Amino acid sequence: MRRHHLASAVVLILMLGASSPAHAAKPDDNPATQAQGKVIFDRTCLWCHGVTGTGDGPAGRFLGRYAAPRPRNFTTGSFKFRSTPSGDLPTDQDLFRTVTKGIPGYMPGFASLTETERWQVITYVKSFSPAFLVETPVSLPLTGTATPLGPESLDRGRALYERFECHTCHGVEGWGDGPVAQAGDLRDVSGLQIQATDLTRPSSFKNGATLQDLIRTLLTGLDGTPMPSYASRLTGTDHDGWDLAHYIRSLSAESAP
Amino acid sequence: MLRRIFILTVGTGILILIALSCLVLPNKAQAIPAFARKYDVNCTACHMAPPVLNTFGQRFLENGYQLPGTEDGGFTGKKKLGDVTLDDVGKYLAFRLVGNAVRNWSFQQQNPAGADAGVVENKTEFTFPENFVLFAGGTVAKNVGFMVELGHDVVAGETDVERGFVSFNNLGAHNLAHVRIGKFDPSAFYSVVTIRQQLNDIGESTSSGCTPYASCSLNRVGLGPGAFATKFYGLYDRSGSAISPFASTLYNSGGEMGIDVHGRPFGDSFLYQVGVLNGANENFGDTNKGKDVYAMLRYDYAKSDYFAVNFSGFIYQGNSNVQVQSHQDVNWNRYGISTRATYKMVDLYAAYSIDRINKVPTGVIGNFDATATGETIGMDTYVTNSTLLSLRYDNIDAGGMMDQRTSASFIGAKPNSTSAPTLPSLPAMTLTCGKPMEARPPRGIFETPFPPASISCSKEAPYASPSPC
Ligand code: HEC
Ligand code: HEC
Repeated sequence: MRRHHLASAVVLILMLGASSPAHAAKPDDNPATQAQGKVIFDRTCLWCHGVTGTGDGPAGRFLGRYAAPRPRNFTTGSFKFRSTPSGDLPTDQDLFRTVTKGIPGYMPGFASLTETERWQVITYVKSFSPAFLVETPVSLPLTGTATPLGPESLDRGRALYERFECHTCHGVEGWGDGPVAQAGDLRDVSGLQIQATDLTRPSSFKNGATLQDLIRTLLTGLDGTPMPSYASRLTGTDHDGWDLAHYIRSLSAESAP
Repeated sequence: MLRRIFILTVGTGILILIALSCLVLPNKAQAIPAFARKYDVNCTACHMAPPVLNTFGQRFLENGYQLPGTEDGGFTGKKKLGDVTLDDVGKYLAFRLVGNAVRNWSFQQQNPAGADAGVVENKTEFTFPENFVLFAGGTVAKNVGFMVELGHDVVAGETDVERGFVSFNNLGAHNLAHVRIGKFDPSAFYSVVTIRQQLNDIGESTSSGCTPYASCSLNRVGLGPGAFATKFYGLYDRSGSAISPFASTLYNSGGEMGIDVHGRPFGDSFLYQVGVLNGANENFGDTNKGKDVYAMLRYDYAKSDYFAVNFSGFIYQGNSNVQVQSHQDVNWNRYGISTRATYKMVDLYAAYSIDRINKVPTGVIGNFDATATGETIGMDTYVTNSTLLSLRYDNIDAGGMMDQRTSASFIGAKPNSTSAPTLPSLPAMTLTCGKPMEARPPRGIFETPFPPASISCSKEAPYASPSPC
């Protein structure tokens, strides 16, 4: 009985968007906040994202050179790291998490900006896309209940990895060398070649590598990349998301974050 | 009257430097990217191609190794142990090996000696990389940065502090003043930074047995990262050793002791820099006769379209007590302008400098040209995702003793293969053809003889200016 209560409490807390909660009072999205955000953006983010937020900053091309990723174009309203369904905007918390933690390999984390400054710059980033004025993004709920790590869970996870054909891109061992990836066919929305992530290196995961982070990635997909959303397959299942997440973690010797 | 005849057999010539990134041999110099590790990003976040910085990397450097627009030195990359925040030293240290693990030689085999004309033989031998550099850089606290760079020359067995300084940043207000104290590179914020060039130093080669106050025979002109700095022939340091015209000096030097302030108080577009240094390079045997002072102003345009351009100009007043033949001291000033533009993955730069000797020693008046100029035009570009092509043209219109002085032009080209973007790559091997050069008359006449086809080529490991990524 008690266990059950605990489990549902866990589910409640782990709403997908809530994995990096902010503590400072979030300033209102108003022109004054935006103006403060612009000052920070022009000092800190412009070099990659460009003054108009289209991702064409002077240093933006050197990052991936002729391959993905380029800095995000904020005017399209398409974001990779969301807790929301594929095609939706990210929540403010999602953006806060990205700006705070950064994107391994490509964007440093800006925990050095105060929380208020981070909210201000996020308000400014949102102002590049009119979609933020009309839509209210809502996080998907985390599916099922956390399953304990164990041989059964891993076996089920491995079976799902095969059934969902993750290996076609990520390879059987998760090295990012599946046949589709090797054929060089993976491209992002701007037509640039993109790597299927090496799943044995969770520290390189852009969207985080905790079990909850992984479930979020699987549910929402990474918009603008070939990494699909598995929301329809995972919603309603009791522990598939958790099993798959356990399995992905088991591909690596790195300790859990 | 016994008069020494100094013959500098350096010529104006076109020195063609082809650095081949060797595809088969394990000769890639390795670097451990300290800053990249600290911030968990690829080197490409800051570098156009290491060691050349992109706009973001420049702002990071300007801000004293803190992310642009932030004052993050207080905690990024630090370990919290109870109440104490300690530096995560593992994230600061980096080292770089420069040189080759395997070296190729071509030589004429004569067996027995003199019996026949000899056959060209190729030989491969293992070597230890000629130079390794240990460096540590980062922040010790909010707005307090540091950089230490120790270079060890394996062949000479010498270790040197190449650079080592502390910086106090964002004094007064954000980006108002950043102060560097210690041994640093004055040109760090200039459009064309001496120690961040793709074509690395190719030392000139001189004949052995040079005596004090006699000029050595120079077999091959060199290409220094500061080659765009102008050249004087016929100068000596305090011990009477001929000063290489190709030593990087004044503003374009690798490391000088002093104090330096920079900032952007007039808005984001303008950067100022002023500094005081002990004097000319230590190589010049400076006895601290007087301080050197300099000022630099730079204009930046960097907003969008994958485009950035900047222009800078500096004035340097040198109190370098180098000597001319007559053993009299001279001081000289340097003025320079430079520009750099990056568009997508093309990086273009140009620099022009003028040197003027302030007071020509009476003994050599009439036989001494007090002005020298130099210019550099270069381009680095990624032609494919992993191939960087570097081209560079240098011209020096040298000054100094008329009978020694010579002007020279260089053309350098270097294809450089880089592996994954996470690994910075360094030039692997430099094939230098071009010795001996032909002697040439004093400047004014511009000749560009190509080196004769049959000359021997030696492969040299270039010195790469180390920079943490
Ligand atoms: C060094 C370059 C760089 C800097 C500086 C930088 N970014 Fe980014 N940013 C990137 C890149 C590259 C991506 C896309 C990464 C990818 O698609 O995998 C990105 C993506 C983003 C995203 C989109 C995340 C998503 O869910 O799709 C946001 C939001 C963002 N950056 C905000 C910022 C803010 C705010 C700043 C300044 C405080 C900033 N960035 C500074 C390079 C940078
Ligand atoms: C069509 C090819 C494709 C398939 C199928 C695919 N992925 Fe991916 N996946 C990608 C690509 C491409 C990326 C890299 C996206 C990026 O770097 O922006 C990625 C990224 C990821 C990441 C890392 C996200 C991060 O935070 O950086 C994980 C984890 C992942 N995939 C797991 C899976 C699993 C599990 C499956 C099967 C259920 C799967 N993928 C199916 C192409 C695919």
